[in-house]
Amino acid sequence: MTTLVQVQDIDKSFPLGGDNTYLALTGIDLQIRKGEFISLIGHSGCGKSTLLNMIAGLDLPTAGTVLVDGETVRRPGPDKMVVFQNYSLLPWLTVRENIALAVDEVMPALPRAERNAVVDEHIAMVGLGPATHKRPGELSGGMRQRVAIARALAIKPKLLLLDEPFGALDALTRGNLQEKLMQICNEHELTAVMVTHDVDEAVLLSDRIVMLTNGPGSVIGGILEVDIPRPRQRLSVVHHPSYYSLRSEIIYFLNRQKRVKQWQAKPHKVLARHGLEKVNLDLGFVPLAACAPLAVAEAKGFFSKHGLDAVQLVRETSWRGVTDGLVDGTLDAALMPSGMPAWMTAGGHGGTPLPVVSSLTLSRNGNGITLAKRLADEGVHNVDDYRRYLLSHQREPHRLGIVHPASMHNLLLRYWLASHAIDPDHDVHLQTIPPAQMLADLKDGSIDGFCIGAPWLDRALADGHGFTVAGDLAIWPGHPGKVLGVREDWALAYPNTHIALTKALLEACQYCAEPSHWGEMSELLSDRRYLGMKKEVIWFSETGVDGSSSVPHHLFFGKGVNRPSRSEHLWILTQLARWGEIPFPRNYVEILERICAVGVFSTAARELGLDAVSYQRGAIELFDGRPFDVDHPIDYLNAVPVHRDFSVAEIAIGAPRALAG
Amino acid sequence: MTTSTNSTSSRGDRPPTGLALWWKQTRKTLLPPLCGIGGFLLFWQLSATLGLTKLAGPLSLFTEERTRELLFYPFFDRGGLDKGLFLHAMNSLSRVVLGYSLAAVVGIAAGIAVGLNKGLDRALDPLFQFLRMVAPLAWVPIALVLFQNNQPAAIFVIFVTSIWPILINTAEGVRQIPQDYRNVALVLQMSNRNFFTKILLPSALPYIFTGLRIAIGLAWLAIIAAEIVMPGTPGIGFFIWDAYQNSYVSDIILGVIWIGAIGLILDRLMVWLQNRIAAGQ
Repeated sequence: MTTLVQVQDIDKSFPLGGDNTYLALTGIDLQIRKGEFISLIGHSGCGKSTLLNMIAGLDLPTAGTVLVDGETVRRPGPDKMVVFQNYSLLPWLTVRENIALAVDEVMPALPRAERNAVVDEHIAMVGLGPATHKRPGELSGGMRQRVAIARALAIKPKLLLLDEPFGALDALTRGNLQEKLMQICNEHELTAVMVTHDVDEAVLLSDRIVMLTNGPGSVIGGILEVDIPRPRQRLSVVHHPSYYSLRSEIIYFLNRQKRVKQWQAKPHKVLARHGLEKVNLDLGFVPLAACAPLAVAEAKGFFSKHGLDAVQLVRETSWRGVTDGLVDGTLDAALMPSGMPAWMTAGGHGGTPLPVVSSLTLSRNGNGITLAKRLADEGVHNVDDYRRYLLSHQREPHRLGIVHPASMHNLLLRYWLASHAIDPDHDVHLQTIPPAQMLADLKDGSIDGFCIGAPWLDRALADGHGFTVAGDLAIWPGHPGKVLGVREDWALAYPNTHIALTKALLEACQYCAEPSHWGEMSELLSDRRYLGMKKEVIWFSETGVDGSSSVPHHLFFGKGVNRPSRSEHLWILTQLARWGEIPFPRNYVEILERICAVGVFSTAARELGLDAVSYQRGAIELFDGRPFDVDHPIDYLNAVPVHRDFSVAEIAIGAPRALAG
Repeated sequence: MTTSTNSTSSRGDRPPTGLALWWKQTRKTLLPPLCGIGGFLLFWQLSATLGLTKLAGPLSLFTEERTRELLFYPFFDRGGLDKGLFLHAMNSLSRVVLGYSLAAVVGIAAGIAVGLNKGLDRALDPLFQFLRMVAPLAWVPIALVLFQNNQPAAIFVIFVTSIWPILINTAEGVRQIPQDYRNVALVLQMSNRNFFTKILLPSALPYIFTGLRIAIGLAWLAIIAAEIVMPGTPGIGFFIWDAYQNSYVSDIILGVIWIGAIGLILDRLMVWLQNRIAAGQ
């Protein structure tokens, strides 16, 4: 496929009066292939219409160039026809005259009869025959937009540019017109760029969705490929497995932009008090049973007790929000999956490696592998049944849901599958899906199962849509679950705050481990600020909701529970490398040394008088009995049954540096 | 029991026909203005009869023989300045048409130029705003000095009074062409000529007509002023002035009624024209 539009490194700024300028867009690079449908999405004021206008030639970039068919765009022209948001029909002309005006202007060489035929053909194409001789004032919004589309298509543009074409229409009309546009684009293999703020519209119509960050200085925040086959139907695309992940990806992006904007709008002064460098902390978490220590520390005043009297818990809907929050500094610290510090330090999140340190393991256990009830109905009761099932149903896609590539769920699920001769990348497809979506997907059969933390897994059981095929206790009892993570530069800039935070949370962990507090914790977590779920599905004992058992499922506190463990992080590094998430770091010793803030933990534990907890755990051994030799991680990697072609590379994380004041 | 406005249930009521229907339809629109005018005339007549004012009452139009003749025979022409009121009015109107047409042509052309050209706009706008405020009467001596002759001077006064609303409204109409329409022209790469005839003129037309409508009223006002000051030319202004010199109060009243009626007709004419030409906007 050939490239039709090349947007090359565009900047656009507007004069603000005086010497000031407003930088709207910067460094925009985009290639659009012939026949492609592209959506530009972003919050208002992100410059998406400006970008469209520059492709149209109605506006010129301050720097960079736009090429259409290899020619620099210097002015607008009929080859780049625009469908404007407010239709831009001439009110004194009838439907026919409006279209004829464009046709006459653009194709003057054509005989009149042929021009008339073109006009009639396009009026019929958008189904406006009966309204041919009406003026725009007599038409509904939807009909006017159809005239505008007909006018644009009648002059046979190379490129169709649509500026929020359906923004002002009611839902029903919008739906009909979207289908019509899609049909026309398919039939005529049109290349189109559409500005929209409607997420569903973008997914339905586009081949690629370009997401723009907030201005000033908007950049392309991400480009999504929509892999839903054409022709698409409005009502059936929602059943495509990609639909909701694309949708949630865009919504995540937009929410993230909004969050950043709100964060920027607030003043961010570092408040130093009580001998601590910073007491106003934004602490990220994701609603899970394992966030109990954070909720307890807030509700029971452990933060204030240790001088942190302005801690704010920030609820993220996905682990990506936590990653992004740490990357752009909107979060001070966060509850994170135990694999995330190693993953981010090694650059697994796609940016430059960002050293993240962990001074505390907040929880252990709390996961389980769930398969759909329909598999049980077909005789799948254990992993061997599942392998046979996969072999006999090879033609169907088999998807398993995970919440994050660096989460323990993913690593345990992959380890478990690989140990049972199921390749987690070839025999099944592991897909990152938000927890709430997983339940719906399990129910409607678009995924086979998932590995997820409490209470989501308990809800699937309670709803009767899934069954546990392997509990985490059967895979690796006492595996690290969630940890406290902060950026290394943050930890170096606020060392005393870091210790105070560790103390507050360690005390909260101790509180959470006490069986008599579990009822209260269920109640607390059911609050909308935390999980917003019925308290009956949030439980902490091994046997479930009755609470009669004092055998814990989650381990929050105890010997060797909380102390950050280098060998566990090393195991995680091997697993991340095993599945190709990161190269295995040659300098792993240095990385582990930097990830594990054992000193902070020891100081915190000692000051709390909890010396006993800093006991070292034993050797790592999972259910299959394969020993993990911490001195020879690469040998271990080579020996595990299934692994991707991993590489070993030096990961440059620079010298430790404190955050600039 | 409630009465229903539903058409199926009111089938029993015969729809009114003929005169009854006409009365039903016009009662609401015709009755209040008739009452208003009637009441005003009555008050006027009473205050004249009771001697509250020196002004003659409306009945004097019929009671004065000279006025009654003028009222019933508007078309007589005894040569010179002794003409029927219709002929006086036509004389005035012909001057208005001449001056007004000139104003329309020059005003629309200049308005478009000013509306399209920001520099020209900035240069001339203060001048226009200033000249606009000069009353028609004030132009009369200037016009007389300029032309040394009553007829062209009167036309000039009309021209200079009525051009400003046309010019200013046209310029505004051109400035107000929505960016959307300009974008359409840009994207279609319209030639300047086509832009002018297919987008600029139709888009500015409602503004132009607003200006024309205001201007026709002003032009008509100006002619009276001009003729009163420039006696010796037949016209409705001269007629009133002449009647005043002779203390024919009822003639003055009749002249005023003619002026009002013609002004009203001119205004309605413009509205009708506007609706015909600039319909659908």
